[in-house]
Amino acid sequence: MIPYLITIAILVIIAALIGLALNLQWGLAGLVNFGVVGFVAIGAYTTALTAPSIGWFPAMVLAALVAAALSAGLALLSIRLEENYLAIITIGFGEAVRLAILNEGWLTNGALGIANIQRPLAGLTERFGGDIVFVVFALGVLAVVFVALEGWTRAPFGRALRAIRDDATISAALGKPVFALRVRAFAIGGAAMGLAGALQAFYLTYIDPSQFSAIVTSYAFMAVIAGGRGSNVGLLVGAGSIMALLEGTRFLKDFISVIDGVQLSALRLALIGVGIILLLILRPQGLVPEARRKAADVLAKSREAA
Amino acid sequence: MVAQLFLNGLVTGLLLALPALALTLVFGVLKFANFAVGAMLTLGAYAAWVANTQLGLSLPASAAVAATTVALTGIVSDQLVFERLKNRDSISLLVASMGLSLVLENVCRFFLGNASRSFEVPISRPMRWEGLRINQEQITTALTVCVCLVLVHLLLRHSPLGRAMRAVADNPSLAATRGVDRRLIARLTWALVGALIGLAGVLAGLDRSIDPQIGWNYQIPIFAAAILGGLGSPVGAVAGALIIGLAEEMSALVIPTNYRQIVSFTVILVLLLFRSNGLLSAKAVRK
Repeated sequence: MIPYLITIAILVIIAALIGLALNLQWGLAGLVNFGVVGFVAIGAYTTALTAPSIGWFPAMVLAALVAAALSAGLALLSIRLEENYLAIITIGFGEAVRLAILNEGWLTNGALGIANIQRPLAGLTERFGGDIVFVVFALGVLAVVFVALEGWTRAPFGRALRAIRDDATISAALGKPVFALRVRAFAIGGAAMGLAGALQAFYLTYIDPSQFSAIVTSYAFMAVIAGGRGSNVGLLVGAGSIMALLEGTRFLKDFISVIDGVQLSALRLALIGVGIILLLILRPQGLVPEARRKAADVLAKSREAA
Repeated sequence: MVAQLFLNGLVTGLLLALPALALTLVFGVLKFANFAVGAMLTLGAYAAWVANTQLGLSLPASAAVAATTVALTGIVSDQLVFERLKNRDSISLLVASMGLSLVLENVCRFFLGNASRSFEVPISRPMRWEGLRINQEQITTALTVCVCLVLVHLLLRHSPLGRAMRAVADNPSLAATRGVDRRLIARLTWALVGALIGLAGVLAGLDRSIDPQIGWNYQIPIFAAAILGGLGSPVGAVAGALIIGLAEEMSALVIPTNYRQIVSFTVILVLLLFRSNGLLSAKAVRK
């Protein structure tokens, strides 16, 4: 039972990390990204390829940087486009990454993938109860990303992004550098997705292209919608519980014999689809809505002061 | 060699024309990009496969079953999902259609598994003409699509339904003022769109093996074709589909065939950078 819980915990942490990244891009900045999985894959492969020669920490930093750079590049090319077009460009990017990984065997070992990736702190793992060490490590990464993103959300940067999301024209008229802020938001989100990929590579110690299907992207969208667009706390609370439930069903196959593994995974994915639709219809503001100050509060205070 | 690739590209383009047309019609009338177009195509292919191999129907009859199934699915999804979200921004509808896409694809996977299937049709010898190989399936595809395109054209241009659809696409509130029932038009659009995608699914199943990912393989080319033609323009979608089909097949001359799938992605990226209105339409795509 304990190994199950640990696996679920780590998968949820990785999903939450990706969710936080998408929450910055889509929730806060209003930039839809259907190519999430591409950035995660880039992070994972960067880590797997460089960690043996430069060590795990530089490899993770590099994963974040490479994902951020590609993210910024894609944003520079396409972020001015209207949402529906940005959506398809990002889907195309995700597919392009998958094809490149599959076909550039000299670098990525193609469909066979890369095995024997060394986990960080492998020495400690031996001494203290195995995978628990990795859960703590992953939680640490999640905490760092969460604190950084939450800081940015509250900072003028986050407020400007929200303003741009709600009305780009007015923000531009007020002197906000709309384009530059959007590219930055996209790049930071990309970096967090790269880190999630790095964690995935370290945890599974084996990566191949089949791990990076469009499902990863759907999970991230479900997480953001469930949590409430723009709310990082909501993402962790709401998404965490829903992801735990969904991931939990992964292990039902040991207890249920009526349906086989393929059917169970199909059922889980269909449930995610139903979940996305139901949440959009019934609770568009998410489980923990984005905190908003009303104009009246601010005005009342300034009147009192005067 | 070049002529052969050109021919293949033309047929691939015709196959893409139906779903691209469907995508563009939904965008015109309901104002969102239907991400579930690929999954609906998968559903059509499976519906025809069940009718063909399990119920023993002929291929044309199976195609009718597929068109009906997907049309009904379209109407039901509109009723259950899209109608309830009609006042949201188009991206919410896009994300909802992503959810629908997961549901449809995995319903197929749940009942029929991941195995590759194919129709029970007699294997026929390809015809040879002036050094070209022309498959029976290619002729079937070309003829079916051409008939459908003529029918859709007549429907859009010369029928009250087509006029009403164009009116709603053009200006929904004005259409409502003139007594056009938006609900009814939305349902009929879904029925038409579903039938087109269902048929495309059958044609796709003739071209390659049927598995739960069959529709996903066409997803990016379909979007590329519709965007190339300017989202919302039916003629543009068909022209875009032909261009994408040709570009995909002809790309074999210059790049490894493994990368064929990103040709359409590259085409739209370049197009959107330099000419953001699509080839034929003039809708604003920039923020």
